[in-house]
Amino acid sequence: MSTFKYSAGASTSLLIGLSISYQRDNLLARGLGLEHLREMLLRLARELLRQGANLAYGGHWQEAEDNFTYDLLRLVSAEQQERQLAQDLDADEEPRIGRLYNHSAWPAYLSITPQIEAQWINCCRIVRIDQAQAGIAEADRSPDDGTVAAPGSDGHRRRLRNAAIALSAMRRIATVGTEIAIPHRSRPERVPPLAARILLGGKVQQYSGFVPGIFEEALLTLDARAPLYVLGGFGGAAEVIARAIDGSGKAPPPELTEAWQHEHTPALATLADAAKAIGLPPGVRDTKAALKDLAKGLAGARRQPAKALRTGLSDDETRELMRTTDMRRATQLVLTGLHRGFGMHELPG
Amino acid sequence: MTASIPEIYVLWHPMCRDGEALARRIYEWLRPGSGLGPEVFFRSLPAPDAPPGGLPPPLAGESRAGAPPSMAANRWQIVVLLIDAHMISDPAWRNWLHVLATRTGRGTRDLLPVALDDTAYNVPERLRALNFMRPTATAAAGIDGIVRSLLIQLTETLCRMLLTHFRPIPVRGAAGTGNEADRAKLTIFLSHAKADGTGPARRIRDYIYGKTQLAAFYDENDIPFGSGFSRVLQRAIAGDNTAALIAVRSARYADRPWCRREISSFRVPLADPVPGRLGRHWHLNPVLVVDALDGGAVTSGIPELGNAPVVRWSDEVSEQEERIVTMVLRDTMLTAFHRALGRTMPDDRASIVLDWVPDLATLLCIPEVRARRRALTVYYPGRGLSLLELNMLEDHFPRLTFRSFERAET
Repeated sequence: MSTFKYSAGASTSLLIGLSISYQRDNLLARGLGLEHLREMLLRLARELLRQGANLAYGGHWQEAEDNFTYDLLRLVSAEQQERQLAQDLDADEEPRIGRLYNHSAWPAYLSITPQIEAQWINCCRIVRIDQAQAGIAEADRSPDDGTVAAPGSDGHRRRLRNAAIALSAMRRIATVGTEIAIPHRSRPERVPPLAARILLGGKVQQYSGFVPGIFEEALLTLDARAPLYVLGGFGGAAEVIARAIDGSGKAPPPELTEAWQHEHTPALATLADAAKAIGLPPGVRDTKAALKDLAKGLAGARRQPAKALRTGLSDDETRELMRTTDMRRATQLVLTGLHRGFGMHELPG
Repeated sequence: MTASIPEIYVLWHPMCRDGEALARRIYEWLRPGSGLGPEVFFRSLPAPDAPPGGLPPPLAGESRAGAPPSMAANRWQIVVLLIDAHMISDPAWRNWLHVLATRTGRGTRDLLPVALDDTAYNVPERLRALNFMRPTATAAAGIDGIVRSLLIQLTETLCRMLLTHFRPIPVRGAAGTGNEADRAKLTIFLSHAKADGTGPARRIRDYIYGKTQLAAFYDENDIPFGSGFSRVLQRAIAGDNTAALIAVRSARYADRPWCRREISSFRVPLADPVPGRLGRHWHLNPVLVVDALDGGAVTSGIPELGNAPVVRWSDEVSEQEERIVTMVLRDTMLTAFHRALGRTMPDDRASIVLDWVPDLATLLCIPEVRARRRALTVYYPGRGLSLLELNMLEDHFPRLTFRSFERAET
């Protein structure tokens, strides 16, 4: 143990999933912007990293204003440097600062160069999910060489379908964990399952895949019986999920219906056609199945949300978390829940 | 005065070309370091449940259906209105402006109109009497120029509002008169060593007088002939209107007794009694150090400066004086905000609350810290010092436990 009062808590090594994306109009209609989302994310991430928790975020690697991958990497890097310095001064200081697991699905990972991976290797483990891991039969796989088939062609439809399947597989593997075989190493590298997931913002329309990413990740987390923290006060898909749990009506919010999704994301029709024509691997849920299962799971959480979502909070606190727009309070509630559920230590200073 | 925490709303019409860019820059500016300042909310696109062309979500506590407003008594809303022709000509927005200006409920609402074009002055009558901010820039400077101009005016305005709200600073110095004119003249104290020349200090002073509504205390001009030098300086440093100090640190600054006296007087925390609270509150006016050392110059360190921020001076950086003054004003505004936030911290006799990030030099000025007689919890602004800093403070103050505002209740 450290001899200092302000040593970090015991390393938890938990993997906490961060489900976040930005949809401008949705957020702005609620009086918030990208800055709010980023600030909320970094507040949470900083506290979790200092507890030794690892973070899982499936963002891409393009430099874009609404991409949070580099924000998280810079944070991990800064926290690691600071902890290293503290450790140099006090050998007993707990050395562990969490790192980022970036689960990246085919074909997005094809654009991650060795240079990018090497640059961030101490902060981030990239976990690639290829078509084989996604359960796509060899005969149905699309080429990896960047060939872009003409819109409307079979090749184009197949590519759309395979990308959506890989995206779903990536989300599933991020939730349940996986192992990565490494040549000449006796044991494969273990990528742990998620200990908990935090939902913040999120696109409700114009997304890739069969359903909005946050919807699918929420469903997988419920399936895995892992704690789910829904920050519904910051708009987006997380707000829809909060409404579905917190609402009083019998019907789910319209965003959880297939008709609404098809109306607001026209590309879904092409994807549905492709999936119908070629079929889906076993276990892959299409739009209809995923929305139906999610609506059912969320409806089941209405009476006792804390128990159903395994938040470690009371029902009132869980509802407060789903409604608050106060970043400080939201951070407190998530940390309190994790503290109760996993014994995360109170943070210093 | 209530311990209300200011919250900022930025309103712009969805069709306003520059509104979103300006709002986002305001957010970044007022909440540095991932959110250290007052909360900033946007209002532009229609609320999710609004009819087509409808209004954004109401402000907190505002009622839309004609019902009486329910704003809580301790709420203080500062509403920045980015006004252009779209806002003026849209009947729904125009009506909303009127409502915002006339109904505030039990809380406080201050409206800060910003004229983005000439039509902005055609606001509903209740708003016309207000003094508009007018961001201007050359065509070449574009939106960045407009942003800079707006942030300067907004920072100065907010700084004045927050300082006025939390006056009087309770000890030292003469009491303010309380009238508008008196409140309007915030003073920046310029501390500099004349022996090293007056270039940077003079440029900063000229900027303050030429481009802002502030005053500068610059001892070459501001000490009347025949006055007691020490007495005038002390009064200027401790005066209610003196908001911050800029120390122009040149080679001989550390050796000049008056400079050292100015800086050490200014960096002494002031007791800030808060009625009804058991813990002691302390206030420190911000200091910004302008490093004006020539290349290769050698000088002594100045421990009184503690963790005051430092800006490197360069004659080649254009409009540097503008950045320096705006930065120190923002620090002043943030200090006032933290002073208010400190009043919401857990309270007991074994706690002290600071409105600055602590360092050795300033902590040693607080008698109960220096006495080391009992264990104390020290609440301070922000997200928390680094482990390294905390451990260093613990070496010197083993009976103190430091808790940031952010983690005060976690």
